[in-house]
Amino acid sequence: MPDYEHDLRFGIFATPTAQPPQHAVELAVLADQLGLELATFQDHPYQASFLDTWTLLAYVASRTERIHVAGNVLNLPLRDPAVLARAAASLDRLSGGRVELGLGAGAFWDGIAAMGGRRLSPGEAVRALDEGIDVIRQLWDTTQRGGVKVEGDFYRVVGAKRGPAPAHEIGIWIGAYKPKMLDLVGRKATGWLPSLGYLPGGVADLEAMNARIDAAAVAAGRAPGDIRRMLNVNGQVSPSREGYLQGPPEAWAEDLAQTALDYGISDFILAADDPALVEFFATAIVPATRELVAERRS
Amino acid sequence: MRLEFGTFITPGSDDPERVVALAVLAEALGYDLVTVQDHPYNPGLLDAWTLLGWIAGKTERIRLAANVLNLPLRPPAVLARSAASLDLLADGRVEMGLGAGAFWPAIGAMGGPQRTPAEAVQATSEAIDILRELWDAGTRRSLRFRGEVYTVDGAARGPLPRHDIPIWLGARKPRMLRLIGRKADGWSVTYGFLPEGDRRGELRRGNAIVDAAAREAGRDPREIRRILNVTGTFLSERGDAFLQGPPAQWVDDLAPLAIEDGVSTFILMSDDGATLRTFAQEVIPALQERVGAALPASSDLLRPARVRAKRREGIAYDEVPASLRTAAVEPGDLAYARVRNTYMRGGAPGIVLKVSSVAEVQEALAFARRHPDLPFGVRSGGHGISGRSTNDGGIVIDLSGMNRIEVLDEAARLVRIEPGARWMDVAAALEPHGWALTSGDYGGVGVGGLATAGGVGFLAREQGLTIDHMRAAEIVLADGTLVRTSATEHPDLFWAIRGAGANFGIVTAFEFQVDPVSPQVGWAQFVMDASDLGGFLERWGAAVEAAPRALTSELIIGAPRRGQPLVAMVLALVDSGDPQAIVNALQPIADIAPLYQQRVVLTTYADVMANASREDHNGQGEPVARSGIVRHITPRVAQLAEELILNNGTYFFQIRSLGGAVNDVDPEAMAFSHRTGNFVLSAMGASRARLDAFWAPLQPHFAGLYLNFETDVTPERIAIAFPPRVLDRLRLLKARYDPDNVFRDNFNIAPAATIALGAAAPDRDEPVGTGAHEGHDHA
Repeated sequence: MPDYEHDLRFGIFATPTAQPPQHAVELAVLADQLGLELATFQDHPYQASFLDTWTLLAYVASRTERIHVAGNVLNLPLRDPAVLARAAASLDRLSGGRVELGLGAGAFWDGIAAMGGRRLSPGEAVRALDEGIDVIRQLWDTTQRGGVKVEGDFYRVVGAKRGPAPAHEIGIWIGAYKPKMLDLVGRKATGWLPSLGYLPGGVADLEAMNARIDAAAVAAGRAPGDIRRMLNVNGQVSPSREGYLQGPPEAWAEDLAQTALDYGISDFILAADDPALVEFFATAIVPATRELVAERRS
Repeated sequence: MRLEFGTFITPGSDDPERVVALAVLAEALGYDLVTVQDHPYNPGLLDAWTLLGWIAGKTERIRLAANVLNLPLRPPAVLARSAASLDLLADGRVEMGLGAGAFWPAIGAMGGPQRTPAEAVQATSEAIDILRELWDAGTRRSLRFRGEVYTVDGAARGPLPRHDIPIWLGARKPRMLRLIGRKADGWSVTYGFLPEGDRRGELRRGNAIVDAAAREAGRDPREIRRILNVTGTFLSERGDAFLQGPPAQWVDDLAPLAIEDGVSTFILMSDDGATLRTFAQEVIPALQERVGAALPASSDLLRPARVRAKRREGIAYDEVPASLRTAAVEPGDLAYARVRNTYMRGGAPGIVLKVSSVAEVQEALAFARRHPDLPFGVRSGGHGISGRSTNDGGIVIDLSGMNRIEVLDEAARLVRIEPGARWMDVAAALEPHGWALTSGDYGGVGVGGLATAGGVGFLAREQGLTIDHMRAAEIVLADGTLVRTSATEHPDLFWAIRGAGANFGIVTAFEFQVDPVSPQVGWAQFVMDASDLGGFLERWGAAVEAAPRALTSELIIGAPRRGQPLVAMVLALVDSGDPQAIVNALQPIADIAPLYQQRVVLTTYADVMANASREDHNGQGEPVARSGIVRHITPRVAQLAEELILNNGTYFFQIRSLGGAVNDVDPEAMAFSHRTGNFVLSAMGASRARLDAFWAPLQPHFAGLYLNFETDVTPERIAIAFPPRVLDRLRLLKARYDPDNVFRDNFNIAPAATIALGAAAPDRDEPVGTGAHEGHDHA
């Protein structure tokens, strides 16, 4: 039962709807005011009823003060990694170090192709993401001499100047479920970001996937603790406990704390479009979860 | 002509705070535009698009543009969504400065494409098309674009930007200049990059190429803004060099470029706050004056040809008053998709004038009056079932920008509300005071339309109608005058406004005396078995009439579904925070039939009313609705309603509560005179003929009609809505206040002919008749 001993962080995952335009922003501002650590948004550039996620992140970052912002996760097939790297570093410098990079290999290829992106097979998408991460890391790393040099099958970036360096170490988080992607997480990511809704067996599925990530990390000369284990969750507050994250705040705290301790999940990101739920999460559930984890860890 | 001014700030990545501070300073100094260069391959610069997003969050008014974006590294489909998104977030402040790209080795090193000059221009041309197509969310078809450089294969259009984002191109060579003439809204050029020695000549030649290409494409050169990027130093001594001297010399240097060479936007390239300040304070005002004196207003920018091509016959678009021009929406504008339809109706108005003040209402009305033969509608929330608030080829005045809610007197509970506010916002604003004003059952409905007709809401039995709480109304009349009406000021007009207001003018402010409400109320939603429909309706009616006034209920029944039991949705609000009192009030209602589902919660009135989305209206077609007020749900009424429903005469049948406090009001007190009914029935149908056929037998049972739920505008309907003595008085008032029948679009009350024949007008304050009940007296 791993506990990577990471500090707990909590955040929200709000729908970036274009109408009303300030909906997602207001939720992020609220989360910021309530002391939550993360404001994240999905990225589907082919979805015409959503705001563009990168644009939204820049705007949200400027309207908030402490909260970190991230795509959950950004659609790499439609976002050039070199330009994205510089954009992320720019926003990180503007915001005083509050950007994190959630990246996705892409999944909805019809949508991607409709927007003029190239269509990849799942296997190709993983390799492209792998190369994209290399481009991004090289571009951020101003300690190295010479330009970026990634001569991959999917990205060719040769000679691009490095910099500016981000203001802090921007996390690279990947959502992953299948072996090749889990391996990539272990090799190159600093955060693993699956969604509860895509775990057929619920949180119990996390164990085997954690192990795979751990193995890949070690094989790449990294420590399992180099990778934060994160989880997108959704739930309902109800008077009695009816299931995982279906119950009163005490039950939520119990569920989250146990998941933290059993599976080393340190970042819980709640899907929420209702300010009341965000408020409830931040004031009733988060503190109780922290307390339980602190108690049980000691 | 009014010049515009912008700044061009170096987006240095080493000192982001300084960059942002300069942008904020530019806004404070009154610049119209802030711009930044885009070189995504340069680590010394912040990413331009990201920076603009950040600056958007730190500013409120200044417009934002890259000068210019690097198209090769920014694929146009995602760029289109990004621009629309920022325009929505920044409330309409984005401009799209676009460049074909120039530093190809650097672009290539980033993994970007390599393009010949011809390919670069081609790509820019295609990008412009893709941007405009994807922004046009009013067109449903997804975009299929097969260009030489770009392919878009079935991308959905949208989101709709907040405004028509102008596209300007950076250019120096003829091919790009011709492209600007053909397709763009502006030309951005840096004075200092024009060949030294003959900069003005180059500028003129460039303008000529743009102008010629524009004319060839059927455009007016005045559609294309000429944007000049300039830089200089403020010195105390005059000199020969361009922009090297005191502010007065700068004015002398720049004025000819505007007066003779058509530059309408000057962008100052400077990272020095003092220079920005001196320019703003000592150059701009003098330059505006000099150029304003030399150039007439007719040289102002024109709306693009592609927009003008969609104009409708008979509307004097170019004569829209200056104050209304930016907010006016015409069929070629992107925003048209957002404003053309209402909640229940598809529309295609010729122009929508959005107004935010009394003066603007007056100007818009004057403009509308110049078009007596065109349809003319007034829109508050756009929720009208009977209220049309859109039309085909006519004029609409949109009041949604006049939406203030303010407390005038805390002790007297007097509140001033503007017509464009929505009832859910009113409920939310009153909640902290412990107050509520009954309105309707849907929070998205606008104040203006409902408060000039009636207002049958969830507190009706306890509070009466919305109009019963009106203590004053300020109205712009047909002749443009603003009058304040109340019990003591123009009382006849005040009488008319409460029930027939749409016929008399545009109310720009209402004053209501509101009531206290329990901090928490009981809110019930029941789904009940209605298989014994006639019996169900009777029992519900009896239960509601017997209920304490704290309870108001409403029921809704849809079309019967084959093989499924008929159900009714019953809603009830109890103005009490005491769970026992709530249960006691609800029990008799819950007992009338088996319950399939029930949900009873303790909530607030404001939360009950927060049931509307904030999305744009997307109605299609024309609704068919009938309405009637009955005293009781008698067995016969119940039976007739049952026949209507079971024979598929309606897809939406609703009964709302009247009675209680509604009937405390003197029928003579206002134009809405139905004070004997306990229920208003309404039904919507897919077929007018079918609905009418089943509605006709109900007619004799009606003691009146609620205008807002009735789409039949025949004189028979008007005669039921306004019984003879009321109608007569209304017609006389109409002849006095709107003799030319300007306000004719809703349940038109024709002005009395007697006034036109010169008969003596009745004294305004003379009462009409005595206190006997008006109208049909059946059931």
